[in-house]
Amino acid sequence: MTNSNILYIDSCKTAIDDAKTALLKVEVQSNLYFSESYADAWQMLSGENTLTPAPKIVLIAINEIGSEGIELIKKIRKDANLRSLLIFVITSVHDDKNKVAALDLNIAGYFDKPFENHKISEFYTIMNDYWNIIEF
Amino acid sequence: MIQKLVSILLVEDDEVDVMNVKRAFSKNNIKNELFVAGNGVEALDMLRNVINPLPKIIILDINMPKMNGIEFLKEMRADENLKNISVFVMTTSNEDSDKINAYNLNVAGYILKPLSFEKFLSSVATLKNFWSLCEM
Repeated sequence: MTNSNILYIDSCKTAIDDAKTALLKVEVQSNLYFSESYADAWQMLSGENTLTPAPKIVLIAINEIGSEGIELIKKIRKDANLRSLLIFVITSVHDDKNKVAALDLNIAGYFDKPFENHKISEFYTIMNDYWNIIEF
Repeated sequence: MIQKLVSILLVEDDEVDVMNVKRAFSKNNIKNELFVAGNGVEALDMLRNVINPLPKIIILDINMPKMNGIEFLKEMRADENLKNISVFVMTTSNEDSDKINAYNLNVAGYILKPLSFEKFLSSVATLKNFWSLCEM
């Protein structure tokens, strides 16, 4: 999995910084893009600020009970150019409704958000290893 | 997830490959129950009539007799009861059209079968780590 773009969306700036640090440490072979809002992220996927090439991997954090993150996944799945994206959901809220909705939208994985440093590092090491064995 | 020992369905027509998956599972200490179907038709029948509760993970080959992996995926995604199962393609097919079709049907990953058993073991170890993070 090389020469691709990864987009990570999280309303929590600290989580973005942690992800950035961890992904750089594992020497991820992709360009990393970050967004703190679902609306901005949509613009990066399908609007005025579209990333080129379009990311193949999107990580979406869901930090609050509510449907904003799920709505973004629905929009991605309805868009002919984006529907094949690999979507990974990282959540800090334990809400079965979100989980069921996300899995019904055929995301590639639904994860508890890691908070401790060693867990964050372990999480992104495993994700990076996984991205390295899959083809696009 | 994987600790809860959900079952896994392997859809694979090649007996040597089935044996390799079983060996790789055993060497990686993956103790989840493994069901095996020899093609898409058999897999759909097992999912609809035999395996209860349904597996959370399907490992899918592409080139198979009767119903290939892509045809199986289409049928599965159209079935309300089966559409949200995570599918990991594991195949020797390096055809772009197979990759595009598989990702359009929202597989969680498309993995080329490594030629050596050692590399295959390592890919299965990576998958195990990834599954252990996933909430399913």
